[in-house]
Amino acid sequence: MTAVLITRAGPLATLQDAGRFGMLAQGISASGPMERGGFAAAGVLLPQAGHTAIEFTTAGLAFRAEGSLRVGCAGGQFSLAINGKAREWPAQLRLDEGDEVEITPGPAGNYGYLRFDREIDVPPVLGSRATNLTVGLGGYKGRALRAGDRLALGTAGAPAAPAREPAADGPIRVLWGLHADLFDAKARNDFATVGFIVSTGLDRMGVRLTDPGQIFRTQRRLSLVSDAIVPGDIQILGDGTPIVLMRDHQPTGGYPRIATVVDADLDRFAQMRPGTEVRFRPVTLEHAR
Amino acid sequence: MTVDLKPTLLPLGDRALLVRYAETLSDDANRAAIALARAFAADPIPGVGEIAPGLVSVLLRATDGADLGAIRGEVMLRLGAPLPDVKGRSHVVEIDFDGEDTGEVAATLGLTRADFIARHGARPLRVLATGFAPGFVYCGFHDEDLVLPRREAIRPMVPAGTVLFAAGQTAIAATPIRTGWHVVGRTRFQNFDPLRSPPTRLAAGDEVQFRSAA
Repeated sequence: MTAVLITRAGPLATLQDAGRFGMLAQGISASGPMERGGFAAAGVLLPQAGHTAIEFTTAGLAFRAEGSLRVGCAGGQFSLAINGKAREWPAQLRLDEGDEVEITPGPAGNYGYLRFDREIDVPPVLGSRATNLTVGLGGYKGRALRAGDRLALGTAGAPAAPAREPAADGPIRVLWGLHADLFDAKARNDFATVGFIVSTGLDRMGVRLTDPGQIFRTQRRLSLVSDAIVPGDIQILGDGTPIVLMRDHQPTGGYPRIATVVDADLDRFAQMRPGTEVRFRPVTLEHAR
Repeated sequence: MTVDLKPTLLPLGDRALLVRYAETLSDDANRAAIALARAFAADPIPGVGEIAPGLVSVLLRATDGADLGAIRGEVMLRLGAPLPDVKGRSHVVEIDFDGEDTGEVAATLGLTRADFIARHGARPLRVLATGFAPGFVYCGFHDEDLVLPRREAIRPMVPAGTVLFAAGQTAIAATPIRTGWHVVGRTRFQNFDPLRSPPTRLAAGDEVQFRSAA
């Protein structure tokens, strides 16, 4: 049987399809790719692709082909080698039995994607093969991939949905959030003008930001009723730390949220590495496209 | 049902809207949110891919490519309509009141353990919302003299089936979670099974009668 044998995996390599939508009322967020553009691009590199990708991080990934298969590799900028021979990134690969693929960090990006010409043969859970690491749901046994895991490739894929146009460079656009009016004018003004730094505290649940200006340090603590969370919500923790909530977010939360990253810019934000300066620019709903 | 609450319509990013009935939790606001979610589910709004009721609000998630402005207009038009009466299903949930905090909670409330258990199940509660984690339900409201704030410290992982108590509510963990609520017991009632569809048994608006398993 055709399969991919994982020979090395970082701690956060997971299987992801487009996402497990429709389960918020049951308390389950959708998960799905951290960078939808890279996920889509990996599929478009193949004439037909399975709906499920391996999402890996800057820790990289290595695997051995068991049987002949094709792979689309995209998202971020990674270093790629087949049997020790370097290849360009992104890439479309034809692999034969025993070929060894090694992916190591490149100059940019936190997440990369591998899609195959067939579907990764894991059972869908609640309509999706996406892994929700917070809950331990879906994907490969509900967990991150490890060396020794064998992913069987099953039914033939289909032409993949194209990637949308990447959003422009520049500040990350936000809409003012659910609790923006609970922050004073100075905090709101500072939020929209000063820069934050992407910290090393980053995973599929959220990205913690360093706030060099300490603009939320004196923010008084608030006791708020829990409301629905959406990916991109920027909540301010009790100690003033801003955190941008990502694909494996809690479905509801009670920390104050000052703003929400617009959908088209969230993927670009997800690829920003620790140490990168990020600026937020409030826009109106009409300018969020 | 008729309510005097004035809902606020807020964008939650550019792909979702929130209809919020209040900024603090109340029985009226919660009932209104549940009723509105039922009304919208029964008569779908074009472009809305998902409706999720919360404690005092309803999330409407737009499908890919749908125009949020058009959805907002349609929601505005519908918010004036009377809300339906929600009659949820009834459930009985048995609890072993042997949690780490049961004795302390009873003592703080000035009750014996037996009195606390009796008062806890004195009448059925409503499922106020599912949220925080898969199948995690907030049930309320207990009588005002049973209201306790949350604990100062967060407890590391408590297992599925842990029964939690704070803020005039009882909650049931359906998956392992960290919690700042008081642990007052455990139940065999499993409200999350990913292999079932839907994966939860309790829905917002249902009635739950808690009963001592002993």
